[in-house]
Amino acid sequence: MVVLSALTLILWLFIVPMGIGFLVQRILPRTKKTVGITFLCGYLLSFAVFEVIAIWCMFKIQYGAFDKCSVAYTGMEGILAVIGYALRIWDVQKAYYKGANLFYLLFPGDERAKPEAMISPRTDVRVMKFQYSRESLLYWGIFGLIVIFQLYKAVTMAPFDGDDAYYVVESVLAQQVGVMNTIHPYTGSSTALDLRHAMAVFTLWIAFIAKMSGIHATIVSHTIMPLLILPMTYLIYLEIGRILMGRRQDMLPIYMIFVSLLTMFGNTSIYTAETFLMMRTWQGKSMTSNFVLPFVVWLFLWMFDDCRKPGFLWNEETGGGSRIVRNSTWILLFLLNMTAGIMSSMGIVFGTGLAGLFSFLLLIYTRDFRIIPKAILSVIPTGIYLSVLYVFLK
Amino acid sequence: MYGIFMECWVIFKLYGGNGYLLALYVASMLYLLVAEKDMRKKLVMAVAPLIILVGFFAPFTRIVFAAVKEGDTYYRILWMIPMTVSIAYAGCKLFMDHKRIGLAVVSAIIILGGSIVYKNEYMLKAENAYHIPQVVVDVCDVISPEEGEPRVRAVFPSELLHFVRQYDTSILMPYGRDVPHNQYYNAVHEAFEKPEVINAGELLEATRQAQCRYIVMYKDRAIDVKLEDMGLTLVETVGGYNIYEDPELLQ
Repeated sequence: MVVLSALTLILWLFIVPMGIGFLVQRILPRTKKTVGITFLCGYLLSFAVFEVIAIWCMFKIQYGAFDKCSVAYTGMEGILAVIGYALRIWDVQKAYYKGANLFYLLFPGDERAKPEAMISPRTDVRVMKFQYSRESLLYWGIFGLIVIFQLYKAVTMAPFDGDDAYYVVESVLAQQVGVMNTIHPYTGSSTALDLRHAMAVFTLWIAFIAKMSGIHATIVSHTIMPLLILPMTYLIYLEIGRILMGRRQDMLPIYMIFVSLLTMFGNTSIYTAETFLMMRTWQGKSMTSNFVLPFVVWLFLWMFDDCRKPGFLWNEETGGGSRIVRNSTWILLFLLNMTAGIMSSMGIVFGTGLAGLFSFLLLIYTRDFRIIPKAILSVIPTGIYLSVLYVFLK
Repeated sequence: MYGIFMECWVIFKLYGGNGYLLALYVASMLYLLVAEKDMRKKLVMAVAPLIILVGFFAPFTRIVFAAVKEGDTYYRILWMIPMTVSIAYAGCKLFMDHKRIGLAVVSAIIILGGSIVYKNEYMLKAENAYHIPQVVVDVCDVISPEEGEPRVRAVFPSELLHFVRQYDTSILMPYGRDVPHNQYYNAVHEAFEKPEVINAGELLEATRQAQCRYIVMYKDRAIDVKLEDMGLTLVETVGGYNIYEDPELLQ
């Protein structure tokens, strides 16, 4: 039973999102086709799909809403993952040649720079993965140990937070009773939808994982989720660091050590994003502050980084300058805005606000007015979400 | 306006706690404003956060938040500032050519200036995979209805209130954490938690009205008449908590 649950968790938390990530990977530039980014993008699309299905089920289905939501989401995720894997395998087998490294065919962005590429004046080393020295590998090791320590602590320590009596119980109710926010978590009596919280369906996504794996939703929230969310957060910070460090990729492990220490020692008050990450990992607010907002920062660092004039390498990177690849960041921002909606109603406002500010700065910097329609299109999910909220709250 | 600004300042200080890491962040941001040569990185890592910070202290923003009833969560604006990334990046940039010294110095500043989360008073050793007190699990296992049986309602002392339904939603409660937290009125809570010595008669009147089949009470809790003498059955004592069943509500 335990083995089966573990296998199901691996399926739903790693294999399926990775398959879906392969779908999104198709629109990414070559250097961004890494394991980490593919995985993160898989989650973006998964969360976006969940938002649509879950909110629709919550509003439209009166009895057994969560069961039907689970069936629909399982089907959709399964289809997307299968298509993702199938298309990727198709691409890989076309590109395969004898002696090719299969991993680099799947994730070409992870390919390390060859020495001749590093010394070539035509190579932009910012987009080439770095060959780390022994010293840098040691720093990576230290970072890895810190993360393992944090994961160990996440499993063996139990932070108390009063809000769990609401959010975690919503997950447990969905799993045990099959309802979507229509039973009052505190008392168990029936209640009308509390829209301010109900639209943030991350609790129900956790319930979905719990239902699929057969593990109690409280265990999934408190013990399993940190094992997923902490590394995912670090993945985002890693991508941010990759852009910030530019040519000095040797500093990346040191940067990650600082980030991990700040995460661990950032409990200076109950309000900091770091406190939320470590003590309320499974709550939508924590996901807003530690997943959504850093993701926005990364996407815009990427956009600013791509401001350079399109040249030889840029064309090569974007598959001949394909439009969809050049605009992949805006598409990811669209998905991210949908993801923000499942985390918290405030999160979607903050995410959009931050994206708006960065878009404005990008506009000033590039003087490219095409940014305006792209930015507007990418926040359509926010507009729909807030409109629904407004209509029902009125 | 000055008053509102000071409110923002207080929220900012509360966010920072001991203030060292917040000061380190402000120093990092200023350093990046001055030292970052790449305008693109400067815009994202220093200029945008500065604008957010100015927006945070602007009374107008605070007024808008209060108007949409989000005054209590005003501090969350600060989440939009990538503080962790800024400090880490500034640290790397400053010691770019002295990696080992930089690693030691910045790590020491973070460790000494920060506060480790595992020492937080609300961070306890996990007693089970649920990460809730084991006594809650044990008590719930006693009163939890069998499959197919109707759900039961039970009153719990405030220290267990948060956890019961995280474990088992087939146990209903007459009130949840919102009642003590927000000082709402609830008859059972008034009779069970408010008095120093519980009036058994008043408690039973309230629990029967709320259809509570079980009363879970710490064994040393002061009560004027024993609940057994009032006709309740002591089902079991678990982890120091007496579990009483009210025969009047047995179905």
